[in-house]
Amino acid sequence: MRVDVVLRYIGVVMLFLALFMLLSAGISYVSGMDSAFYPLLLSALLVTLLGVFPLIFVEKTEQITNKEGFCVVVGSWLVACVVGMFPYLIWGGEFTLVNAWFESVSGFTTTGSTILTDVEALPRGMLFWRMSTTWIGGIGVVMFALVVLPSLGRNKLTLSSVELSTLAKDNYRYRAQIIVQILLVVYVGLTLLSTVMLKIAGMNWFDSLCHAMSACATSGFSNKNASIAFYNSPAIDWVLIFTMAMAGVHFGLIYSTVTGKRNNMFRSEITRWYFGILLAGAVLIAISLYAAEIYPTLGVAFRYATFQFVSLVSTSGYATADSNLWTSFAMILMIFGTLMCACAGSTAGGIKTNRLVLSLKMMRARLRQQQHPNAIIRIKLDGVIQDNEALHGVMVFIVAYLMLILLGTIVGTITGLDLLTSFSGAVASIGNVGPGFGQVGSMDNYSALPTMYKISNSSLMLLGRLEIFGLIQLFFIKWWR
Amino acid sequence: MIGMRKRVTVGFLSIVCLLFFSGMVSLVELSRLSRDTGEILSANKRNIELAKEMLDAAHEQNVALIHLSVFGDKSYDSLCRVSMARLENTLLVAQTEAVDKSFLDSLAFVTTELRLLTDNYLAFGVADNTGRALAVQSDSLAGKWYNNDYERLYVHLTAAIKNYMTSSQSSLAPRTEQMKKNAYRAVMPVLISLVVMIAIVLMLFYFMSIYCVKPLLRMNKGLGDYLAFRVPFVVKADLKDEVLELKEKIETLITISKQTKA
Repeated sequence: MRVDVVLRYIGVVMLFLALFMLLSAGISYVSGMDSAFYPLLLSALLVTLLGVFPLIFVEKTEQITNKEGFCVVVGSWLVACVVGMFPYLIWGGEFTLVNAWFESVSGFTTTGSTILTDVEALPRGMLFWRMSTTWIGGIGVVMFALVVLPSLGRNKLTLSSVELSTLAKDNYRYRAQIIVQILLVVYVGLTLLSTVMLKIAGMNWFDSLCHAMSACATSGFSNKNASIAFYNSPAIDWVLIFTMAMAGVHFGLIYSTVTGKRNNMFRSEITRWYFGILLAGAVLIAISLYAAEIYPTLGVAFRYATFQFVSLVSTSGYATADSNLWTSFAMILMIFGTLMCACAGSTAGGIKTNRLVLSLKMMRARLRQQQHPNAIIRIKLDGVIQDNEALHGVMVFIVAYLMLILLGTIVGTITGLDLLTSFSGAVASIGNVGPGFGQVGSMDNYSALPTMYKISNSSLMLLGRLEIFGLIQLFFIKWWR
Repeated sequence: MIGMRKRVTVGFLSIVCLLFFSGMVSLVELSRLSRDTGEILSANKRNIELAKEMLDAAHEQNVALIHLSVFGDKSYDSLCRVSMARLENTLLVAQTEAVDKSFLDSLAFVTTELRLLTDNYLAFGVADNTGRALAVQSDSLAGKWYNNDYERLYVHLTAAIKNYMTSSQSSLAPRTEQMKKNAYRAVMPVLISLVVMIAIVLMLFYFMSIYCVKPLLRMNKGLGDYLAFRVPFVVKADLKDEVLELKEKIETLITISKQTKA
């Protein structure tokens, strides 16, 4: 493996991050040169220097191998999280080393958990950088750089095939180079549309842009301490419900739907499952809340239930209510939503609806196989027969996912947290959702939690974002032939 | 083509820039820290000096009044006036210099009360309930005045001075907090710059090793093998730089040497 080539492409990603730091510094300058200007400018300079250095030494290569591509992608994620801490650390405030790492990882992995007790105390430039990390992370650190930099040529294909999971590529009928462009068009389009709609709904331009960036990345970072509850506006709630739900759909399907292609999201089995679960979950939670007299009318209960459920399933993590006060039935449904999450090919994390549907079909096939031992049963998804390797991969992923949740829960309980907090925190972190229940509820934050728990959860976030094996593989790269 | 020399120069310049940059940042932040520390310390010192001056003046006046009222020693009359004036002047200075004047309000009020009481005593002696001066001052009457009227105010005054001293100290807390932040800001950019510098130095070492040292070693070995065993000189050069030129020249030299021998 050519380490120098890997360093060169990680350098390209760093330059891209430096660009966003400069943009945030620009926002800071426009906002009256607030206290974030100096940390952001300084960080941008340092990251530029780090990024430019390998470019000076290493010449452009025509082809990179899969192994190198893998190292570029995983390395870029890790390096992005590290350099993403720089503005936070230099700015100070609540950002200690562990807190800055947590916030940076939470941003890039689009988890949206925070260690900040007072988000509103952050200057505008820093708020924008926080949202930038999450927006870049939403589509994928490397993917973003791929779209912006046209000079990568054939290497673009290798890198995009490494960063896009196999499941995510399923619904595309295009070449890899076009896929990357489609991703960006849908992502930017959805962000702009959401910004305008939020502005019309009553937010100011800055908040609209920040929340749109965060919602499209399914992150859940907010500029307000009380998250979306601060606005207490049904219009804003419904705009964000739409944005979050759409950000959880396969981007290729959104593109096909908008451009009037046949393989659109209404024909997709996965999307039908996804929207079906969203609707069913929201209705059941609303009935439960109304029956428990938590909300006065079924309409109000439906609004809050839909927002919170869509927020969790799409892995956003915004809050309009304290779900810790909701019924146990509502809580368990929401934990299910946190586990399941949205569709592959979107910005969401988690197990994903695709794997859930496939595992259900495998269970059904298993039952039928027992009834008819000689039958050859094929498992289809969207009319496509799934091969055994793909099915095996799904099951292995789900088992590994659940084992990591167990591990995260154990770490939580070791640090002295209660079971609900430890478990829901682990589920929310590995799924890149954000809020859980107990001390990590929708209206709480991670500031007072033990350092060990913060480190463990930030590791879970990275594992979840890199689909578990991506990160683990890095430790065994030596044996990769 | 970027030559080896340019690459090495850029590498070292980056390190120099970072060193200069982190040095400048720490210099600016540390000088700010030093200035703040100096300001806090001098404010602290001045505050203690003024409080001590006021306490001394109050004590002096107290002694003078004891001699006047209890022992009837009229020679202390002027000392009493002088110490009162000293107290008021020091208070005026404190009021002028104080950032937060609210700490001095109660002190100014008690000082004014004390001034009125002292002036009344010095002008008319001990007054009765109606404010009429008593013609004859007995020792016991003056002692009572001291105990009931003056001492109460004196205690208030010293308490107010002490309060001024402690309150002013506590008003320094936000500045100290700011100083802590400045110290953090002085350290953190330098620390991060150092981390970046270490990363750059490691990269420079790695790149120099694979693009400069290794090809030279390979060429050395290849040339040695050619001279010793006539093994063909085949050396891989990764970059289009001086190393590649050197390799090509050696190859040309070998070819010429072969042609000459033939």
